[in-house]
Amino acid sequence: MVQPAQQIAAHHWGMTVDVDRCTGCQACVVACQAENNLPINLEEHFHQKRAFEWIRVERYWEGEFPNIKARFIPILCQHCENAPCEPVCPVYATYHNDQGMNVQVYNRCVGTRYCANGCPYQVRFFNYWEPVWPEALRNQLNPDVTVRSRGVMEKCSFCVQRIRRARIEAKRDGRAVADGEIQPACVQACPTNTLVFGDLNDPNSKVSKLRNGRRAYRLLNDALRTEPNVYYLARVDNDEAEVAHG
Amino acid sequence: MTKRFTRRQFVTIAGASTTGAVVFAACNIPEEEFVVQSPSSLPEDLVRSADTWYATTLASEGGDSVLVRVNEGRAKKVAGNPDFPINRGKQNVRAEYILQSMYHPDRIATPMARRTRGAPLRPISWDAAEAQLKAWVAESGDRTTIVTNPMRGHAAWVVGNFARNAGGKHMAFDPLDQTNLYAAIKRVFGQDRLPEFDIENAHTILSIGADWLGTWVSPTRFSVKYGEFRQGEGRTRGTLFHAESRMSITAAAADRWLPVRPGTEGELALGIAHEIIEKKLVPQARIAAFEAGVPKAVLDARTLANVARTTGVSADRIHEVAEALAKHGPSLVFGGGSAGAHTNGTNNLSAIYALNILLGSVGVKGGVWFNPPSPFAGVPAASSGAPFIEWERELARWRAGSVGTVIIRDANLVYGLPRSTDPAGALANVEHVVAFATVLDETTELADLILPENTALEDWGTDIPEPGPGYPAVALQQPVVGPAYTRDGTAKLSDARGFADTLLKVSGGAAGGATMRDVVNSAAGGLYGKGSGSVKAPSASLFMQGLLARGGWWDVSARQSTSAPALRAVVKDAAADFSQTEPAVEGETLHLLPFASQSLGDGRHAAEPWAQATPDPLTSAVWTTWAEVSRETAKKLDVRQGDRIMVRSQLGEIEALVYIHPAAAPDTISIPVGQGHTRMGRYAQGRGSNVLAILVDKKDAETGALAWAATRVKVWKAGGARKIPMFEGGAEEARAVEPGFPILTVRDGESAEDAKHRFEAGHKVLH
Repeated sequence: MVQPAQQIAAHHWGMTVDVDRCTGCQACVVACQAENNLPINLEEHFHQKRAFEWIRVERYWEGEFPNIKARFIPILCQHCENAPCEPVCPVYATYHNDQGMNVQVYNRCVGTRYCANGCPYQVRFFNYWEPVWPEALRNQLNPDVTVRSRGVMEKCSFCVQRIRRARIEAKRDGRAVADGEIQPACVQACPTNTLVFGDLNDPNSKVSKLRNGRRAYRLLNDALRTEPNVYYLARVDNDEAEVAHG
Repeated sequence: MTKRFTRRQFVTIAGASTTGAVVFAACNIPEEEFVVQSPSSLPEDLVRSADTWYATTLASEGGDSVLVRVNEGRAKKVAGNPDFPINRGKQNVRAEYILQSMYHPDRIATPMARRTRGAPLRPISWDAAEAQLKAWVAESGDRTTIVTNPMRGHAAWVVGNFARNAGGKHMAFDPLDQTNLYAAIKRVFGQDRLPEFDIENAHTILSIGADWLGTWVSPTRFSVKYGEFRQGEGRTRGTLFHAESRMSITAAAADRWLPVRPGTEGELALGIAHEIIEKKLVPQARIAAFEAGVPKAVLDARTLANVARTTGVSADRIHEVAEALAKHGPSLVFGGGSAGAHTNGTNNLSAIYALNILLGSVGVKGGVWFNPPSPFAGVPAASSGAPFIEWERELARWRAGSVGTVIIRDANLVYGLPRSTDPAGALANVEHVVAFATVLDETTELADLILPENTALEDWGTDIPEPGPGYPAVALQQPVVGPAYTRDGTAKLSDARGFADTLLKVSGGAAGGATMRDVVNSAAGGLYGKGSGSVKAPSASLFMQGLLARGGWWDVSARQSTSAPALRAVVKDAAADFSQTEPAVEGETLHLLPFASQSLGDGRHAAEPWAQATPDPLTSAVWTTWAEVSRETAKKLDVRQGDRIMVRSQLGEIEALVYIHPAAAPDTISIPVGQGHTRMGRYAQGRGSNVLAILVDKKDAETGALAWAATRVKVWKAGGARKIPMFEGGAEEARAVEPGFPILTVRDGESAEDAKHRFEAGHKVLH
């Protein structure tokens, strides 16, 4: 559906990830699974490297014992402006919407997996199986989110259902969506406020201020020019050199 | 008419469309016409469901308040309650698991009983079950013991009343015994409740032993404060030193991790004190106040060289910590966890907390603040379990046949107590065993009468957060959903009832009221009578509505006054033990460090598949038990990642898979608690090993608390290997691809761009 030009770019959603606050606690990971009907990751899925985590926390080691550090970084779909996953999809199942988001349309997806091959961030997940929950556990599934079927690619949606709901409510109330009103499940859960979500078009939004801060950088952007809408804020460490050299 | 496409035909047509789009693009079609929006109606587009969010509390570690999304009578999502001062809208990783507990496929469906001990369980009615429970308690009288998890609030009050009325007792069980923490707080500060740690306003923090960002005491609250401590607006970034024998996520978050030798944490604290005093880094009045509690002879022996030798932490590091604490305040020192889990645990923790006196950190911004007593007279506000020595005595009574009825709720003694106590054997000699549970575990399966219990989402109650925020606070629990039904709505998943409600009914109201709802209403009436706090209303009923809507009550105007207490007897005599000195039994070469799992906790979350599948933050391992050993130790044992090893203590042995951990100290082996269940539902049963089963029964010399970090073990290669299920890739250690990628580190005040240039100047190519 083609949008009239004047409606384009009302919002441009983005996120900042302050690595200096992140403790690697995994609260974001589980909150995302509960919100977005991710299938249960059984033991065999981990062995096959087919476990689903729309947001994951990677851990990197630096230095050697006893001067060793573990660094954590949450990785999710970067919602790139120049997304390598988008042009390779033969059926437009993944495309860039007018709010800065990389969107996945499940009932278009035919499972070529070209998008996952093209994504340098490895944040796309393919349903190799029909997801299965015991009947009782299906009570918990979120009715706002599609349960994806076998053969379909999926990934972080910035909790688009929450964005839709907030925009509908704001429209109904005759007001603009307030900064901070929309929180994807990971952002809401994160106990250290590592994750901040908001409108990058609003210069006064918290996320805009943070991404314009001195510590902001984007993953792989210097090399690939993917122009992610997820900005990272660098970890502060004054003795990084000492650690690196043990 | 519908036309059927094969998938291949569809791909072909779609591919042709793509080509068309490219051709059109070359003809200067306006760009916006190619902004392709989805015309499809996915649930994400429709947003038709009507939600209700209810505030409640889950009786979790710290007393967080949450909002539960309820949609068509089903609980869908848990989110932190933004109003509540403890967790401020946030949650920890374990909060969501309650949803899977509520809808667990192995929930106990109905009350069940055995005709005789050992006979099969058969369903019975609630009326019959309650009559049986009532008769057994009446028959047993003062030979009744109620065993629960550590509880706070009005449910704990009801349980206490019920036990007292029967003439029996209530004991709480915490497998990772924290008795020494409470003993040290009492000894140093004279307080019965844990104090508030003003983490967000501190500049320098030293924490010892306690994984406060992961599993210790109130991790959500501490994490919220930690975020501010790091990058809060209008403040300089704080500095965190963390001493712990194992690298926990708190150790990983620290600016400096000090891998202290197990059992010598008190020695480290005294060494820091010695350095501060010797270098006169704080005013003399504070030194005098500190020395009133710590004999000079004790301090004199703790020179940098001595302490470095004992603790394994270098003299430079000890000096650095001492100087930072003294010079860059506000400073805060606290500890717990493994630091208190030794035979000298109370001494260790007392020495740690006493540093706050030396640093002038009591009752100041960024320091330690005391908490007021419970806002309800007689209602427990602290949740320590009974010390291990009391369990030994109690189980001896059971074994001797001196106890008639034991009522067990959320206390898995068979799984969690050292084998020397033989809980299963002791229970066998109790005349009547009653268990309340959601899913059968190793202890409840031994009961004669099993009663299906509500989850926290189905019950009324209160919680008094621990530690409190420095002023009175109460979290309110309400049933946010009715009983869980099968999806077709024809049958209940579980005919469960509330634990405290059942006790009230069996007691005929004598335990505090007719129902928990009445008890909570009455408690709300008490708060209403105070006329202050976060909810104000013209009537008691409106006040109750306000409490339910906000999730609780708190009164910032009633902040507890805090001043540094006169320090007495932190160290009782000069010979007090601050470094564990028990000699290892021959062949027991490694120090066993059991640790609470980030997802499974002490094992109570093992039944929930989300918990099993949550990667351990440091190893990313899931669904199994692994043993963290250093490269050096692995080489000595001749083992590789995934090899099976046997770990033997004086009380037994378990099997685990080797995880070669770059941050493991060479003389330690760390194993997560939580797996190794023989019961507990389809997701937990028969998976991994239970490290608690091989803990030796050493106790703190003063309190009798279990020294759960004081076991030494012999480890050997068992033969065979199994791939550890992990989220991350192969067995290679994940290291940065190149400096600054993917995690860019900057120095204070440095920009990301400057840091990149710095790396490039170091002849590294940064992309």
